[in-house]
Amino acid sequence: MVVKQMQYVIIGASAAGMAAAEAIRKLDSENSITVLSKEQDMPYFRPMIPFMITGKKKFSEMMLIGQGPYQGANINVRLNSTMEAVHTTDQTVSIKSGEELSYDKLLIATGSRPHIPPIAGIEAEGVFALRTLSDARAMALRAERTKHAVMLGGGLLNLKTAFALLERGLEVTLIIQSPEVLSQLMEPNDATLIRNALIRAGLRVMTGCSASRILSDANGVNGVFLDDGREVVCQMVCIGKGGRPNVDFLSQSGIRVDQGVVVDRFTACNALNVFAAGDVAVTFNSTTGERIVTGLWTNAVEMGHCAGRNMASQPTEYNGTLGILNATQVADVPFVSMGIVHTSGTDYETHVAAAPKAYRKLVFTPDGAKLVGALFVGDISRAGLYRYLIRESRTVKGIKSSIIKKQLHYGHILKETI
Amino acid sequence: MSKPKEIFVRLDRCVGCHTCNIACAVEHSKSKNLFEAISEQPTPKNRVYVEWVPPEHKVPVLCRHCEDAPCMHACISGAISRTKEGVVITNSDKCIGCWTCVMVCPYGVIGRHMETRKAYRCDRCPDLQAPACVDACPTQALVYRTADAFSGDVRQDAAREMISGEGR
Ligand SMILES: Cc1cc2nc3c(=O)[nH]c(=O)nc-3n(C[C@H](O)[C@H](O)[C@H](O)COP(=O)(O)OP(=O)(O)OC[C@H]3O[C@@H](n4cnc5c(N)ncnc54)[C@H](O)[C@@H]3O)c2cc1C
Repeated sequence: MVVKQMQYVIIGASAAGMAAAEAIRKLDSENSITVLSKEQDMPYFRPMIPFMITGKKKFSEMMLIGQGPYQGANINVRLNSTMEAVHTTDQTVSIKSGEELSYDKLLIATGSRPHIPPIAGIEAEGVFALRTLSDARAMALRAERTKHAVMLGGGLLNLKTAFALLERGLEVTLIIQSPEVLSQLMEPNDATLIRNALIRAGLRVMTGCSASRILSDANGVNGVFLDDGREVVCQMVCIGKGGRPNVDFLSQSGIRVDQGVVVDRFTACNALNVFAAGDVAVTFNSTTGERIVTGLWTNAVEMGHCAGRNMASQPTEYNGTLGILNATQVADVPFVSMGIVHTSGTDYETHVAAAPKAYRKLVFTPDGAKLVGALFVGDISRAGLYRYLIRESRTVKGIKSSIIKKQLHYGHILKETI
Repeated sequence: MSKPKEIFVRLDRCVGCHTCNIACAVEHSKSKNLFEAISEQPTPKNRVYVEWVPPEHKVPVLCRHCEDAPCMHACISGAISRTKEGVVITNSDKCIGCWTCVMVCPYGVIGRHMETRKAYRCDRCPDLQAPACVDACPTQALVYRTADAFSGDVRQDAAREMISGEGR
């Protein structure tokens, strides 16, 4: 007897989509898994694309399949396949080429795209918003004839891009509307060490202003006009103003969208057999329960993994994520920001310690019983223990002073547990 | 197929002598010799830590090579993988020093080479019969066995149960 194969279709071949595909394959070695991507490149580690700008890594060194947990066994990845519509009643999807595919289980993992603010002149050549490998390649090309690049926005993405451009020998200026860099990840007073590191590294930082117009001529961008009347000459502009979930193709589908794709605790959409995960999905903050859309690789993988298991009929609850969960190093300063770290004007119990080379902030619930956030700058050792406590929402009792002094070690947690 | 051996900790036996620290650092030095290792640059790093919990508990802590390792799934550069022996390893060539693994490790056992901006952790000493720390431990607080063999003993491995929520 020939049994018809079940079709798993995944739209999006990045963190969430590929984690889901691996999770399905682990539980189901038989049925067909097709992963569609509108990009021209095989799946890659998106956070590595700045290395395409510096030229320090080749594409082959960024590829996802074959690395870490991604084995890609019998997973069919189709590139250059842009999804145009999902038809939930007959369980099919249409691709731009005109082709239709039917699915038994569908995952929406289309991620997000950069938010482009409505600034006059923004469509000029030489204006970028880094998201894909193609963007990075185009930036690398433009960098060859750029002396000065202006970054609009002081978030992590723009800092990473700025460092890549600095490494190529460009002059780089950050133009930031907020009073300090990384305002999504910390408060202005928390960022002093990082700001100093940026300056030492040769970045120029202008705060409290924004671009009102982008100027260009036949060679593309040649300057930015600021809202305070100043003009900055530059040959490249990079926009880092956050992302927006890629949901356009769902408009006629009946699938519920509220900023991102809305899912339940089991990553399922309102339409039967349709799931969503990653940057495109509305997730929730595991501490506050608040609904959020995130831009986190870690969350995309975790959620994709859950979705994959659910698609393969292994009900797996997704536990949400911390809204902030970022680690990186800018110049010679590492930092980790997790959970709730914006505390001004709130009644969270907050402990701050500032030293010349290290800064930390530990945030507890107003009653002081639970850790809800941690920020470490300079010294990030054992940060995972703090994340664990935040994530598990455990009463900290006897180990609180070790937490505040950042002397926590696994022995403490073990002792509290047994 | 028999399961690979792992390093287990017998908490009641650890006296906090730190012999394991030294053996580990020496094994992970270029010279593999204590006297030369001391002056090597970068300084050889140990990957086993002996923590002290007042009043008198000593707790050796090292990478558990978790079943569904959070660090491996979180890695944004594909640098962390599992060998067929079950050892979770960081490939230095691929590591980009973003410290995401440090942020997610619930044991706090991933270290950082500042000079080279690479993460490191216990690799169970691939070149040795038994890991250097186990060999050096004078009280046999560290043992190298298969999980099945070890569970015959009192299993002090509360750690595993504790993070069952993580190690999916
Ligand atoms: C430079 C950079 C650095 C970053 N650094 C970090 C970091 O350090 N830590 C961190 O946690 N996060 C980081 N991020 C964010 C992280 O990359 C994203 O959160 C993550 O990639 C989200 O994964 P995803 O699978 O949800 O979506 P995406 O990675 O956005 O992938 C979406 C996929 O869907 C496909 N797609 C989209 N629309 C369609 C369509 N209509 N039809 C078919 N296919 C479609 C795309 O081709 C792609 O394959 C960084 C991002 C960038 C750009």
